Amino acid sequence: MSAETAGPETLGSLSDEPQQDPNSQQAKEISGKSPLRIALGRLARDKIAVVCAVVVLFFVICAMFAGTISDLFGVSLETPLASERVDGLNNGLPKPEMGPPVGPFTWEHPMGVAPRTGEDNLAYWLHGCRVSLLIAFTATLIASVVGVVIGLLAGFLGGAVDKVLSFFIDMFLTIPFLLAALTLAPILNERFNTSPDYPTIQKFSLVMVLAMFGWMGTARLIRGEVLALREREFVQAARVMGMPTSRILFKELLPNLAAPIIISVSLMLPAFVALEAGLAYLGIGVTDGVSWGQTILKAATPTYFREYPQYLWQPLLGIVALVLSLNLLGDAVRDALDPKTRR
Amino acid sequence: MFAYVVKRLISGVLVVTLVSMGIFLLFWFGPSSPAQPICDRETSNRCGDRIEIYEETLGYNNPVYEEYGKFVQGVFVGRTLTIASSEYECPAPCLGVSYRTKQPVKEELVSRMPATFSVAIGGAFLYLLFGVPIGVAAARRRGTVADKALVSSFLFISSIPYYLFALLTWLYLTITFEVPLFSDTGYFSIGENGPFKWFSGLFLAWVALGIFGCTQYTRFTRGAMVEALSEDYIRTAKAKGLPARKIVYKHGLRAALVPVVTIFGIDFGTLLAGTIFTERIFEIQGIGWWALEAVQGKDLPVVMATALFSAVVLIISNLLVDVVYSVLDPRVRLS
Repeated sequence: MSAETAGPETLGSLSDEPQQDPNSQQAKEISGKSPLRIALGRLARDKIAVVCAVVVLFFVICAMFAGTISDLFGVSLETPLASERVDGLNNGLPKPEMGPPVGPFTWEHPMGVAPRTGEDNLAYWLHGCRVSLLIAFTATLIASVVGVVIGLLAGFLGGAVDKVLSFFIDMFLTIPFLLAALTLAPILNERFNTSPDYPTIQKFSLVMVLAMFGWMGTARLIRGEVLALREREFVQAARVMGMPTSRILFKELLPNLAAPIIISVSLMLPAFVALEAGLAYLGIGVTDGVSWGQTILKAATPTYFREYPQYLWQPLLGIVALVLSLNLLGDAVRDALDPKTRR
Repeated sequence: MFAYVVKRLISGVLVVTLVSMGIFLLFWFGPSSPAQPICDRETSNRCGDRIEIYEETLGYNNPVYEEYGKFVQGVFVGRTLTIASSEYECPAPCLGVSYRTKQPVKEELVSRMPATFSVAIGGAFLYLLFGVPIGVAAARRRGTVADKALVSSFLFISSIPYYLFALLTWLYLTITFEVPLFSDTGYFSIGENGPFKWFSGLFLAWVALGIFGCTQYTRFTRGAMVEALSEDYIRTAKAKGLPARKIVYKHGLRAALVPVVTIFGIDFGTLLAGTIFTERIFEIQGIGWWALEAVQGKDLPVVMATALFSAVVLIISNLLVDVVYSVLDPRVRLS
């Protein structure tokens, strides 16, 4: 029996809404949207967020295809014979045929070459971008996992577990990050500095140091959320049904924590990008030269800066653009996820 | 209140103990011998087998808990340290003897304090001096173009990593434009060089810290002020015809400043604990600079001392902030 033939006394036509096929276009439009989809929709309408996302995407592409892009431009990380490219008599600044600051622009070295060593700036910039993003992403991932697990356990189990975990959260918050990194990084590095994989190990230990002092914020945030969530009916129902704790934690609670996790990731990523370069600048992060912070350290000497400011500005703009767009994108994501600002 | 403070102090002592143990263990079980750098230095890189003597006298052959016990004992009653064939007297709060300078670490720490404290006090003063009035002004002009421009430009500045901001300030003002006042940055003690030299050496560091840090204070003050100005008692004050200045500064700002004071306390503590980037960039020989040097020279006692010093400063400042907060805001009860 179709809707048109139903009499006025049937339940189907009690409402004013026209009858419709549940699979029609209209039915799909009024179908429920998950909070994440609503947030994504709001993000797509936010112009600043879209621009920032494009900038971040640009850096991600540079990082992923650093090798390929270098090859396209015909540049590489190899250390050349310095005397071919730089002028030892002129403070080690590049020769005129190497492009700015002495000569005109050349496609052979689109971003010029480094003073003293003559290494190609573009190749170092691209690989520095890769190092920066790789370290920031891995550290964020590890810190998030640790923070979420500790926050879940502290919030859900409560009691003594919560007390101990909260004490550790507070203790790590009291330790000043820079000093800790200062102490830890050289010790971790010392062990392996004869190993052939030294650069890799150094990056790994840097990731560990960053993650070790990055998880507390997430843990606190998650713990607070879990404290509120664990009293909700669906968690009690799961308990009554006899679900094991691990299942309640990861199947029931975790999906409800998507928003705070995304928020803490959005705060961590730009902070880690900035810290990676900062530590490299202090000489305690990446020390094999392929890092924006290392380039800044080399470029920030009075002589080079006076004669060759681009050398400093290239990595500096990279960091600023990446950190700025990650920060603004994070702001936009937080706004989009916040039900209070829903328009 | 008293019980709360005691409780916090006990947990603070616990944290300091754990931190010191952590550093001790790190160096102990660290991969390279902590005695290697000092041995290399004293034998002009012909250390070889003599490393044994250094390890033995510095106590690296004893169990770690024994040495940690000696360290703790030194902190309370002082001790005499032996490095190779020389003995070093280290009185009461003994944090060890620097492996590089052979001076008691505590004395050097004290001698480095004025530089870091000068940076911290000046910078923190500028946080408030710039931050609060600009925040109040923005809150009073809320929603206008000026307010929006200010808020977004400050958001922009605070998104730049601080060390890059400070580095650019130094490079442009000192190196490129050679502004006379900023030409010689660094710490010059008032006693030896006079107040002007002291002031001009630190001025640029203060400005960089102040401008960068004040963005945060502007944001907080503006937010708190906007909230305070929409309260009923402000409307009452307006209704009874008080002058606008009085309403804003006496009634509004007083309420708005409470959260700002809290954040200020924490930030000031962080600054006192060591301003590594500022000291590195502006060549100020303070605690942060010292820590950096010590790490590069693997000077265990100095690394230990700087880390402990900053942990203690942070714990005390956090505690003070909580106590002050409960005094400022009677609704907060410490328990």
